[in-house]
Amino acid sequence: MAQQANHPLPDGHRLEEYTIERQLSLGGFSIVYLADDPAGHQVAIKEYLPNSLALRAAGELRPNITEEHLGAFRYGMKCFFEEGRALARLSHPNVVRVLNFFRANDTVYMVMEYEKGRTLQEHILKHRDKVSERFIRGLFTRMLNGLREVHAHKLLHLDLKPSNIYLRSNNSPVLIDFGAARQTLVQDQPMLKPMYTPGYASPEHYGERRDLGPWSDIYSVGASMYACIAGKAPPAADERQKEECYLPAVERWQGRYSEHLLQIIDWCLHLDHLQRPQSVFALQKALVEQVPPAVQPIAEEDGWLGRLVGIFRNQNK
Amino acid sequence: MKFTVYQESRQGGRGNNEDRTAYSYTRDALLLVIADGMGGHHHGEIAAQIAVQTLVNSFQREAKPLLPDPFLFLQRAINHGHRAIIDYTGQKQLAESPRTTIVACVVQDGIAYWAHAGDSRLFLLRGGRVMAQTRDHSRIRLLLEEGMISEAQAAHHPDRNKIYSCLGGTTAPEIEYSRKTPLEHGDVLLLATDGLWGVTSGDLMAVALKGANLLQAVPMLMAQAEVKGGPHGDNLSVVAIRWEESPEAGESSISTQTMALHEVATQMEEFGRTPAYKGELSDDEIEKAIEEIRSAIEKYNPRKQGQ
Repeated sequence: MAQQANHPLPDGHRLEEYTIERQLSLGGFSIVYLADDPAGHQVAIKEYLPNSLALRAAGELRPNITEEHLGAFRYGMKCFFEEGRALARLSHPNVVRVLNFFRANDTVYMVMEYEKGRTLQEHILKHRDKVSERFIRGLFTRMLNGLREVHAHKLLHLDLKPSNIYLRSNNSPVLIDFGAARQTLVQDQPMLKPMYTPGYASPEHYGERRDLGPWSDIYSVGASMYACIAGKAPPAADERQKEECYLPAVERWQGRYSEHLLQIIDWCLHLDHLQRPQSVFALQKALVEQVPPAVQPIAEEDGWLGRLVGIFRNQNK
Repeated sequence: MKFTVYQESRQGGRGNNEDRTAYSYTRDALLLVIADGMGGHHHGEIAAQIAVQTLVNSFQREAKPLLPDPFLFLQRAINHGHRAIIDYTGQKQLAESPRTTIVACVVQDGIAYWAHAGDSRLFLLRGGRVMAQTRDHSRIRLLLEEGMISEAQAAHHPDRNKIYSCLGGTTAPEIEYSRKTPLEHGDVLLLATDGLWGVTSGDLMAVALKGANLLQAVPMLMAQAEVKGGPHGDNLSVVAIRWEESPEAGESSISTQTMALHEVATQMEEFGRTPAYKGELSDDEIEKAIEEIRSAIEKYNPRKQGQ
């Protein structure tokens, strides 16, 4: 079914106490705007607008929601509230902060902090082949602080990927878009499909989803680290399950990054969720455990490094 | 008597909700019930509704304000529920009687008494651990106990939903009773249908609910379970209480101290109102949800407060 795109609210539009500057992104479930609050601070405003259920024509403010879709629209709104509730309780420098929540134009809006920066996805595309090991370790160690907080609140992100990891101008990471965390669905409602991104989604994301756990987010973290090096996502998990086509990072980038880091990536990307790090803490510990000697490529260092890697391997059995 | 109580039933990915939950209390006694109407049979939700309603009605009649004999009460009321389903089948001339599981728990004088038939479960959680739980009346449980299959195999076994005891069947239910179990301050009694316990575990729930406010933690468990259940997930339901003996219990707890002797309070879904969208929101509910999120933002956001 071809889906029409929703028209965003016009630039300069007054929405409650905010003034819309421009559209930042358009997704299947929502539109995100950059706006100014009354004090002149920039904020991001997410508008609940699933385009399969509610369409806004050009020049209109209120979306057109047919009688037939009203139930599903309201149901999805409940999920949007769950995202808001979850985020409102999280207060962590590495997790996006919710500032306000309100109702207007027959739908609901979530106001979030906005800071200048770019997504990890943009960073990767701009610095193809030049993302250093130091950068990866530093970034993910800090990003995982945020993810730990998320898991500590018994939540899973479920859609971690470079475009959902935002980098402030000082490179400190912020987890954004918890849209998938609240994704709940109805069988007769194909309009609200589960969200995941091929390549970043773990095998548990597909099918029955009963094995989803912290390890599923950890798979996505591994895939994001992989993307930092490869410039793109690893092969999709469902494809890998049919026929393993994943070339282990340890083999693929041998010599370019430390074997230790490459092993961590392979560890996270294990198809069997029990073979992955079982908690963010375990992964973080591995990431900071051993900082490799600066930047120079590691050639044949089977000696001390090999031994250390051997110890690391055994610890994780 | 002081306790916090939370109940919720979600449709999951199914076309209708065949689970029913209820709780009822007097000044000195408390009843918790959960029933899971059986999907393979027509009118599963009718069986569940009749079962829950029968127990609640019996409780309202007999708890004055204490039940003379909780186990006897459970035995009679559950059997009464079974016969009520059979009667309904006769009246409506149904080809096959609808069926349901049941778990019911009575608490009075600080002691819990429970009974069940089928595979809906009761968990007693204390200090982050499962202190007691019911044993499913399922073939899988028998196979497991005989060591014929492993836990992992059981989780995916095609017969995992087959039970040998229920209400509404051709034979009377096989009812299993607990011991008299004294409750301690902070204990959680949690009744759940397989849509919930099938995608999480007692141990996980025990950890999640340790010291937590049930009114917040249980909905989160349910939300996670619903996500785990996925697009075709089963109905999932829960009734949970936290037993509070100390006087400084939380604001959200219910104190029955001031209730009149003959007074009964009951929370049970009315019959016949199963909206197509379990989660459909009214305008009031939307306003309430927004209000709740805004107050959470105020509470947890130090920067906003500073402004």
